[in-house]
Amino acid sequence: MTQENRSGRPQGRPPESDSRPTRTEAMLRGPFLLFFVSAVIWLLAASVLGVIASLQQGSPAGGPFRGCEILTYGHVAAAQHNLFVYGWGFNAFFALNLWLLSQLGRFELRNGWLATLGGTVWNLALTYGVVQIFAGNQTGFGLLEFPREVGPVLAVAFLLAGFWPIVAFARRPTGHTFASQWFVVGASFAFPLTYLLAQLLILWQPASGVVQAIAHSWFVSNLLLLWFGASALAAVYYFLPKVLGRTISAYYLAPVGFWTFFLFASWTGPAALIGAPVPLWLQSVGVVAGAMLIVPVIVTAINFHGTLSSEGGWSRAWNDTTLRFVSFGAVAFTIFGVLNAVFGFRGTNAVVRFTSFAAGQEQLLVYAFATMVLFGAAYFVLPRLTGSLWPSAKLVHLHFWATALGAVVSCAALLVGGWEGGKQLADASVSFQQVAKAGSSWNVALSVSAVLLLVGHIAFALNAFGMILKSSAPASAGRHD
Amino acid sequence: MKNLNTLLVGIFLAVALPFGALVISSQVQLGSLGRAPAEEGGPLFPSREPGLAIQGRAVYVSLGCVSCHTQQVRPAGQGSDIARGYGARSSVARDYAQQGQVLLGDRRIGPDLANFGVRAKTLAAVHTAIQHNGQFAFLYAGAKQEVASERAVALAAYLQSLRQDYSSPEAKLKQ
Repeated sequence: MTQENRSGRPQGRPPESDSRPTRTEAMLRGPFLLFFVSAVIWLLAASVLGVIASLQQGSPAGGPFRGCEILTYGHVAAAQHNLFVYGWGFNAFFALNLWLLSQLGRFELRNGWLATLGGTVWNLALTYGVVQIFAGNQTGFGLLEFPREVGPVLAVAFLLAGFWPIVAFARRPTGHTFASQWFVVGASFAFPLTYLLAQLLILWQPASGVVQAIAHSWFVSNLLLLWFGASALAAVYYFLPKVLGRTISAYYLAPVGFWTFFLFASWTGPAALIGAPVPLWLQSVGVVAGAMLIVPVIVTAINFHGTLSSEGGWSRAWNDTTLRFVSFGAVAFTIFGVLNAVFGFRGTNAVVRFTSFAAGQEQLLVYAFATMVLFGAAYFVLPRLTGSLWPSAKLVHLHFWATALGAVVSCAALLVGGWEGGKQLADASVSFQQVAKAGSSWNVALSVSAVLLLVGHIAFALNAFGMILKSSAPASAGRHD
Repeated sequence: MKNLNTLLVGIFLAVALPFGALVISSQVQLGSLGRAPAEEGGPLFPSREPGLAIQGRAVYVSLGCVSCHTQQVRPAGQGSDIARGYGARSSVARDYAQQGQVLLGDRRIGPDLANFGVRAKTLAAVHTAIQHNGQFAFLYAGAKQEVASERAVALAAYLQSLRQDYSSPEAKLKQ
């Protein structure tokens, strides 16, 4: 990693920091490791369930565990989805967002026990919720499947565990701010607001009739874009210039990207309801917002790909573990944004509606973008916090290739499979069974990708846990590229 | 950008305005929908749900049926739902006004169920469908899976209650 100081617009890059672990990092080591370790454990659990779910989905007879009530597809799919999102995604971004804003704001987390308490409560509530799903006690609303008593507990735990980045921003010593800080503050503030309103109108005081579905679509788009999207964008804005040692290209556009992202993201929900029995004006608002979301996508594309394209940035990114993951994610986000705009329109949406296509778009956003960025961040942050090296370079390679290949194959299977299935379904003379049969090869690809992802995650977990375990002796920070 | 308050107010508005405009205003627009006759003096639709169907919906939710089945018919011109026989007309908001929980769904790994009650001619056909070639054998007892459990009976009643085969003010059936 090069750290040469080059002149440039000073605001286009995060401030230089010590290459050794700083005092702020020493203070947040405890909560960070709690979040990170629980995130990885949930990721492994979700990956195992992902393999089971993909086998069940691909088999008309129900795959393994047929006739077993606990492991019926409706339970496995819901548990997998929730574990991946709330177990992996939230814990990992609690850790990364806290680290990022502590670094950028030179914030010393003095009340680390509050964050630790929040993380503990979050994970206990999550465990309870998942057990309840398997026991048949779920609500039927995607990503709000936990029984309703879990919601308030998760909200409180979020305030304890996930609100520190805002405190870090408020207490920063300088007036200067960087793009990563805006996105993290936005994510940390938008999520609890969204979650509480959605809980209230969907589970506690259910709105009448289809308004439940409208509130739900608003919730899901906020969760995916404003939590996963914004948090991961913050990380890309930080790591690209940091590791490359240069400023973000066209950084002056970044505020435009930030505000347009937050302005449009929350309106895109009803685009998931095209053709549903909800008012037409509502569907149109969603379509327009989805198309407008191309503005921040273009801005971030200019920022990220511009930075990577100058002076051999791509080859340097390829040779650095962190940037290899992060630039993979940056490319995935651009693809996501373009697909989101194109397939939001009524004509194209009518083809892919109710197929696996929407799951493919979500996979593109939460896995190929956010999760890959999180992996890259882990390769940067963990050595600093633990003071040791990654134990095995082979496992790092296995991790990258298995997850990158798994991400590409799963997105392709869901997106292309969804498109092809949708085109066949548009012809009413082709029976539903025939379409399912024609799509079976995509299901095989999906199962293969689920296994690849599991292998990659096991490699990552072995490496990371090995490093954390042997880090009892604080030594000089090292990185293993 | 440097001021936390500006940032927080901006983000609050970015989340709260869509909530008001999308969710609250549709509650205002649709919240008072109830049963109504297609023509003056006609019968009121949608029908009230039988108690057993309400219990059956809880089973439907508990098993996660919504992860594979939708309950909505798109208008002609958007997909082949009507041509495929999922319904005689597109679904409208009023069809769901009586339901305590709306399960529109967003993925069709299995067929749409908005009019399953119309399609399934006999109770035996409903139970055959529920069994999914033995995947849901745990809902049945007996050597040939011929004894339906309480949950299976409730689920069948719920599935039979799913029908949008009436005219409503927003969506008239073609005569």
